[in-house]
Amino acid sequence: MSHLKRETALQVHLKRLGSCLALGVVMAMMIGKHTGSQNDYGLGFRESVLKPRIFLFLAAGVVVYLLITFWPKVAPYLSRPGVRPLAMGALTVMAGYSLLRWSDTPQLPDTKLGPLAAAARGVGELDGFTRAFFGSIVPGSYWLLFLIVFVLGGAALILRNRALGWVVAVLAVAVGVWGLSAQLALRSFLKVPDHSTGGYVQLLGYLAIAGSAAVMAYTHAESADTRGFINRVFNWRPGFPLVVLGSLTGLIALLGAGWFAPLSLNAKWWDMTNVFGSEAISALTSAYLGWLVWVLFLGTATLAAVATARRNRSLGWAAAGAGILSVLVTLVTIHDFSKVAAAKAFDGATGPWQNVGVGPWALAGAFTLLAGAGWMVASRPTVKEIIEDAADSDAIAAGTSLNVTRALLVAVIAGALFYPPTATGFWQTVLVSEIGIYVLLAIGLNVVVGWAGLLDLGFIAFYAIGSYTTAFLTGTLPVKPPSFLHLPPLAAIPFAIAICLVAGIALGTPTLRLRGDYLAIMTLGFGEIIRIALNNDVKFGFYEKVLTNGPKGAFGIPHPHIKVGPLELTWGQNSLQYWYLLLVLVVLILLAFRRLENSRLGRAWAAVREDEVAAQATGINTVRTKLLAFAIGASTSGVAGVFFASQIGYINPANFVLNNSILVVAYVVFGGMGSLPGAMAGAAALTWLPEFLKDQVPAEDRQMWIGLIILLMMIFRPQGLIPARRRAIELEGLDKPKSPTPIAVPASEGM
Amino acid sequence: MSLLEVDNIEVRYGAIRALKGMSFHVDEGEVVALLGANGAGKTTTQKTVSGMMRPTLGEIRYDGIRIDGLPAHELIHLGICHVPEGRRVFPMMTVHENLEMGAYRFKKPDQKVLKRVFELFPRLEERISQHAGTLSGGEQQMLAIGRALMGKPKLLLLDEPSMGLAPLIVAQIFEIVKEINADGVTVLIVEQNAAQALALADRGYVLETGEIVLDGTGAELLSDDRVRAAYLGEEIHA
Repeated sequence: MSHLKRETALQVHLKRLGSCLALGVVMAMMIGKHTGSQNDYGLGFRESVLKPRIFLFLAAGVVVYLLITFWPKVAPYLSRPGVRPLAMGALTVMAGYSLLRWSDTPQLPDTKLGPLAAAARGVGELDGFTRAFFGSIVPGSYWLLFLIVFVLGGAALILRNRALGWVVAVLAVAVGVWGLSAQLALRSFLKVPDHSTGGYVQLLGYLAIAGSAAVMAYTHAESADTRGFINRVFNWRPGFPLVVLGSLTGLIALLGAGWFAPLSLNAKWWDMTNVFGSEAISALTSAYLGWLVWVLFLGTATLAAVATARRNRSLGWAAAGAGILSVLVTLVTIHDFSKVAAAKAFDGATGPWQNVGVGPWALAGAFTLLAGAGWMVASRPTVKEIIEDAADSDAIAAGTSLNVTRALLVAVIAGALFYPPTATGFWQTVLVSEIGIYVLLAIGLNVVVGWAGLLDLGFIAFYAIGSYTTAFLTGTLPVKPPSFLHLPPLAAIPFAIAICLVAGIALGTPTLRLRGDYLAIMTLGFGEIIRIALNNDVKFGFYEKVLTNGPKGAFGIPHPHIKVGPLELTWGQNSLQYWYLLLVLVVLILLAFRRLENSRLGRAWAAVREDEVAAQATGINTVRTKLLAFAIGASTSGVAGVFFASQIGYINPANFVLNNSILVVAYVVFGGMGSLPGAMAGAAALTWLPEFLKDQVPAEDRQMWIGLIILLMMIFRPQGLIPARRRAIELEGLDKPKSPTPIAVPASEGM
Repeated sequence: MSLLEVDNIEVRYGAIRALKGMSFHVDEGEVVALLGANGAGKTTTQKTVSGMMRPTLGEIRYDGIRIDGLPAHELIHLGICHVPEGRRVFPMMTVHENLEMGAYRFKKPDQKVLKRVFELFPRLEERISQHAGTLSGGEQQMLAIGRALMGKPKLLLLDEPSMGLAPLIVAQIFEIVKEINADGVTVLIVEQNAAQALALADRGYVLETGEIVLDGTGAELLSDDRVRAAYLGEEIHA
């Protein structure tokens, strides 16, 4: 007789169905804006669960149940080529339709597609084509179009019907372009400066669906090999994806985007000469706005395309040069015409760079991408060298991942340089004060947690020390520095680094023998001591002077200012200026840390993290190694502190609470411990998310959604967004075989 | 003069005296075995010699220099390399990276030594780019020894190299230790597997609760009744 009774099949299914239905109920409670009131606390619950909408959620639960139950039957379909892009595309289109703004119209508070379409479909001044998209013929026609494309795409995949695949590909592109053109038409009708992205994102989604259908129609493969496909594309012509991306961005910039957008005007590229007339602007700008821009764009794109196609080094360098030159000319032009606009005081403009539309920035981004394509061609082996090396498959595998990394790097550079100016003021502030600063902090904490494996829950203390050092040196604390140390904010950076190094060692020394939980608690205590000391305004028995101004903190910390000879840079209130300062700081720190990661010290950190006793046995000074991790991490945080203090202008102890320390740890873990790009991506994603959710869910619900996302991440991808090589192995298991080695495709075979 | 002289050392874990005034010596070129049951103080002795622990009393001299109290990362520069108990390779590093870590005290790993390690352990060369965590127990032990050799030791401290390994592998590893010794490396080995260790060792010491109770050449100890009773599991009818 055994106590271990096997569950009957019925019990298993009932349990599963029950769980899935419960999931539906939970989702019903999470989704939607339902709040109780003082008089009726249960209102929210009844509104969300005891209404007909519950059946929708229960149905979703049943779908999940069916999926789990019949997974073995479903799975083979899911690995077919084209399924993943179809799903990604569909999700992107849905995000574009339902989450993102379609217009920055001040009059309409919620300018997602639905409300905007309801307002637009009756406007007679819009052309019929645009109104049809917004639903003048069939209400909600955009959703209908999406459903048709998606269902046909799915049908083509399931039936493996090639003709249908091609039809879907064409249809998807057509619908995507239709949507974008409708948005653009509405934009020029409304004549407002517009930063909305909905139209572009849905186009992207439709292009992905089209790509999926085309892949499905083209391929003979039984199951998808996404990584293999990416490898083949990048091995075929390293710069090719960048050329495509750059050309598309450039075309959108020239043919659709607004170039100059003060209120009441949304000038396209072809309107520009009319807006400014030719007499006010310089000859170069006039030429640029007239014809030069096409010469530059087509010239660079052609050069990059030919260089890529022929894998020609010198052409590659030429394309890179042309791209960079074009970026510079574009910047000069932007400066020029916006200066003229400022002189004419268009929309209260006070200086250059104001009221510039998305167009020229997007074009500058496009030139950067094309230049990057040229660089990739120029710096990679030519076809001949590849064929000579063909036997060395390791080298080819390494080369492929290098190609992908480089392409991503170029895209990130282009985005980091030229996306922020096109964002709204709100997002620029978020970019600097949230994303940027926390990225910097995550880079620092990654040294301690990710590389050396020491859990630090008091990291924000060093940020506080950096900030207060700045406040002290700029003379904004009650305790004044000696006059020779009275410094401008940026000059405080070396001092903040030095003081944080010392503070890092001060924290490290007593904690050296501690590990794991004990270390975490000790660092947590350290963080709180610093904050409370600042708050209580450190007083010693014999020294009764006010030092830190207590909870009031420091005011009027000056903004950064650089003056070298004739060059003078002043930072003011505008977040965008700080973005570029931050970019310089992050790049400098990244360059240093990349070297550090592969240095002797980096290897010592890895050894201490993996096995401290063994590290000691191989002759590593574990004490010094751990102290250096604390010190170097802390100094990065100190730099962030200087930046924060001089940007925001006032600081107080409430900026440096425990919660922030824990968030930084979460960012590093979410992104991928021990990986620099991971830590940055984690911080960026999790600081962006709450701001993005602001428009989507009730404010009080945001933390819940973020919690859900972190939870799902830790369940399904514990190694983080961009895992470090070693950590990935640790969590995926050591025995898992590597991905199939990519095979070099000779140029003659192509894709 | 002996290469290593341990003179009346006492080591404490808090209130517990783990070593109670222990003295022994290791001559250059010798293999010396420390034997004893669990808790006798074998590992503590080795850790104290390699600098991971400090004696509270007594002196340790190496090559005529006093080394007690010096940290491990300085002793390694004198040529004392320690293979700690329980293999302790870096599991997420490849075999090659592990070996490179062994040469951490040098700017660059010595390729000749690397070649010699691969001669001694051809298995490691086969698995050179494999992660150490995927190796079998015996291979990990080989890697741990190979890693210590990369530090070009004059005195190699081996802590229970046979622990948890199949008899065949143990024999193989002891064979290799003999070769390492033939290369001119002095070896101080801690073992529970007395028969194997004494067959290999020139001399041996038997530890009980932190004190040396017996010493002699390997052959003497092997034939000693008390050793046979306590460590070789033979019943003596006397």
